[in-house]
Amino acid sequence: MADETAASTAPPQDSRSEAVAFVIGVAGWLVPGLGHALMKMWGRAVACFLTVGMLVILGAGMRGNVFTSTGNDAFDSLGYLADLGAGTFYLMARSLETHGADVSHAGGDYGTRFLATAGILNLLAALHAYEAARGRKA
Amino acid sequence: MTLEMGFKISHLQSMLLFAVLISIAFGFLGRRRPIERVKYIVWSLFLFLLIGVGIGWAMYPFSR
Repeated sequence: MADETAASTAPPQDSRSEAVAFVIGVAGWLVPGLGHALMKMWGRAVACFLTVGMLVILGAGMRGNVFTSTGNDAFDSLGYLADLGAGTFYLMARSLETHGADVSHAGGDYGTRFLATAGILNLLAALHAYEAARGRKA
Repeated sequence: MTLEMGFKISHLQSMLLFAVLISIAFGFLGRRRPIERVKYIVWSLFLFLLIGVGIGWAMYPFSR
């Protein structure tokens, strides 16, 4: 009962900072590093932008598989979710791969992993920015 | 405008690139001070390469 009372009388500033943290997290997902840049964490912002960008460029350049929403099985769907983690860089990967994926050689297979890793890494960075905005991480 | 690319990278180069990029990202996200970041990046990179090469050798007897 006491907890419910405390929750209902939470100061409006808390809900506002929570909303700001959410916006920062979404911004970090859409554009790698933007979440940290909004909090003036420049080193982390540049590192996220460059590493995710490099992984996407390398992955697309190696003709890795950029998954779409029309996957055939669960692995395709998981790959799509992982790729989507790169935010707008997912669209960049699709526009860079003009000839489509070629996973008949090892380079294409590595490219697929690079693209998925870029997405997961960006999700991790966006979560980090969200937690930092909430004051839970430095 | 579309950009046509095609990278030909060997297994070792791919692993090195992957390890370097991920180590840098982990170092910057996980540590705050520059010296701690460098230590973390170097240690993480070393472990990536050690485990990668180790798994490669562990698979060697089954490769033929």
